[in-house]
Amino acid sequence: MSAKNIFKTATLMKEIMARYNNAGKEAKKNGIPVAWVTAVFPVEIIYAAGLFPYYPENYGAVAAAKKIADKLSSAAEARGYAQDLCGYARCGIGDAYADEHPIGEILEPDLLFCCNTQCGSLPKWFEVAGRFYNAPYFLLDTPRVGLETDELCKDYFIEQLHEMIAFIENFSGNTFDFKKLSEVLALSNEACRLWNEILDTAALKPAPFGFFDACFHMAPIVTLRGTQEAVDYYRALKEEIDERIEKGITAIPEERYKIYFDHIPCWPRLRWFSELFASRGALVVASQYTHSWAYSFDLERPLESLAENYTHEFVNRCFDYRVQRKINFMTRYGVDGFVFFSNRSCKPNAIGLYAKNKLIREQTGLPGVVFEADMSDLRFFSEAQVLSELEPFFEQLT
Amino acid sequence: MNKPELIEPFENALINPAEQVRQWKKENGSKVVGFLMTDVPEELAHAAGFFPYGIINGKADLEKADTHLQTWVCSHARSSLALALGNKLDFLDGLIIPQTCDTTRMLLDLWKQVQPLPYMDDFRLPRQVDRPSAKNYLVSELKRLRHGLEQFSGCTIDPESLKQSVNLYNQNRKLMRKIVDLHAQDPALISSREIYTIINGAMVMPREKVSELLDGIVKALEEQPYTEKDREPVRIFLSGTLLEPLEILDYIEEFGGTVIGDDFQNGYRYIESDVVLKDNLIEALAERQLNRIPSAAFDIEHKPRRIFLSNLAKEKKARGAILFHIKFCEPENFDSYDNLQAMQKNGIPAMRIETQFGRTGLGQLRTRIHAFMEMVGGGSK
Ligand code: SF4
Ligand code: SF4
Repeated sequence: MSAKNIFKTATLMKEIMARYNNAGKEAKKNGIPVAWVTAVFPVEIIYAAGLFPYYPENYGAVAAAKKIADKLSSAAEARGYAQDLCGYARCGIGDAYADEHPIGEILEPDLLFCCNTQCGSLPKWFEVAGRFYNAPYFLLDTPRVGLETDELCKDYFIEQLHEMIAFIENFSGNTFDFKKLSEVLALSNEACRLWNEILDTAALKPAPFGFFDACFHMAPIVTLRGTQEAVDYYRALKEEIDERIEKGITAIPEERYKIYFDHIPCWPRLRWFSELFASRGALVVASQYTHSWAYSFDLERPLESLAENYTHEFVNRCFDYRVQRKINFMTRYGVDGFVFFSNRSCKPNAIGLYAKNKLIREQTGLPGVVFEADMSDLRFFSEAQVLSELEPFFEQLT
Repeated sequence: MNKPELIEPFENALINPAEQVRQWKKENGSKVVGFLMTDVPEELAHAAGFFPYGIINGKADLEKADTHLQTWVCSHARSSLALALGNKLDFLDGLIIPQTCDTTRMLLDLWKQVQPLPYMDDFRLPRQVDRPSAKNYLVSELKRLRHGLEQFSGCTIDPESLKQSVNLYNQNRKLMRKIVDLHAQDPALISSREIYTIINGAMVMPREKVSELLDGIVKALEEQPYTEKDREPVRIFLSGTLLEPLEILDYIEEFGGTVIGDDFQNGYRYIESDVVLKDNLIEALAERQLNRIPSAAFDIEHKPRRIFLSNLAKEKKARGAILFHIKFCEPENFDSYDNLQAMQKNGIPAMRIETQFGRTGLGQLRTRIHAFMEMVGGGSK
């Protein structure tokens, strides 16, 4: 995504995200409860219940992209929250204690919902926040799933969805509306379908759209899935991409290689990375990260279907499953190599990466590399070091 | 019988666990199943005829783990894997890792890649205990675990042997709690270091033997007369995920203190409660897990950890609390600031110390503990 290559739809996204943020502030004033949620969480229930879902992880990502994660984090570090905790959590906790708020304050929760399918940092962070803001907290607990379908985990999740609905009803005094849930699920399905169609265009040679574009355009699928706005947005983006395909506009000027990348990007250096890859004729085409939002709900059995989708999401799966999934992406997108980001913020995704790198290289014969940095904190980023890790990789691309 | 002699077997087991484990294997012709942290239903493995072995202590060459685990992974995980890679756990036939954090959630699969064992399983304990769903799930998860153990042993775990194992573990824990109580009444009876040596030693020794030894220790302590002292030691409360290194206890005692309570996985949390004997023992095991005292793994709504800890410290008349944090242990780190605040709010002076398996600078550790002990009214003995 070079400066010249900006999508028209980008303006639309800025608008809808501004509207979303504004709606959050208005919600507070209008007495609509603000519910903190996590990225891989059945937000469909929150939308159906008429609460305003807020994503503190997003706040962390924005702080990271604006290169102030270290500043926000310092207020947390002063209280003993160590530099090695997830950068998003440090930004959130830091903001709670900070005197200055360069990107505005995090939206205070009236209640907090967390699903630990992604990681164990989120529940610990939300516990801290629940104490700090003195707001009730609900955990949707998701034991890790192996290679096969796991009925045990699914049943546990379904039982908890019932508990969660009762928790919300108890908080709001309203009966939960399953008809509304059905509508929300349908919208979520549609947004996910469009989003994945968009991601798939990266397989074209040359491609009109790549991973770094996806990072830029993903905010609505995370925050607004389940709303008409997300559907409209991805419809517009899809149209623009189709137009680009027709006109022959490509994501990078000269696409020679396709690359698979894991996982979260390094937000404060997003542009640097995208330009680095582009300068080598390499387009990053896929990542399990941007493909996380690929849900498909069965409206006939909403709770079961929510449970299946959210518990069996790759972030909650075992080593072998993840290796297989990565290889599937590599095959589907016809990549020439892969880059794994050992992100010290995100232990569940970084632990085991070296073993995965070795195994996948052996199984696919593709060149692969692991580099060390942090997704949000530039104190743990060294350009020279990253280059020295990536250069030999680029040389292996043929 | 004299006390140091009675404690020696525990000490020796910690210094050189392999020897007696191998001995046990030879005598019993059975297998050893290791575990990390300590939230593991050892009784199930024991009932299947295995030797449950706690991988908590042991001096590892941490660098051995470097190619597999990044340097920012907690040192408990790094040290455990390094022990395995350094062939110091070559007597293991199996491994159970309880999923208490992201590291333990990912570690077993990685271990499978680099040091596969015939039997390896996660114990996916629920991360909430406040709602009915937790128990329903945990009962099923324990059954799943039991099934895996049965497959590995080749026979079913019959209720009678599970009952015997539960009894044995209950007996072990009861005796260890008795020792802790006797110490609370008269700290001069047995040192803090000795108590934690017993608890940690028990994790690497055959349980049947542990019971016998504990019996002897309790008797010896009960026979010991109360000694009048010029000065009572300063009562110190400790908290954290894992107590490491055990030298911490020496320093506290050197500067006039004694440990009167803690919530370590390899401390009081390990022995604080028993499995209630009832017909459905799987359910009883689940209940013990759900009713455990709070830990860093997740907070408990009806018993918040910080409040539990600060009240316990107060109840035990602690004059100070030291909160330990294994470097890079995320769950503990998320808790520590609020725990510290709660202690101080309860009028208990508290401080934090970071340690690392095998990497803690002992000199500096001693200095910090010295300074704290002076502050809370201790001093050299
Ligand atoms: S970046 Fe990783 S550790 Fe942080 S909130 Fe996301 S999944 Fe959790
Ligand atoms: S991070 Fe903490 S809880 Fe997890 S394995 Fe390490 S010491 Fe245990």
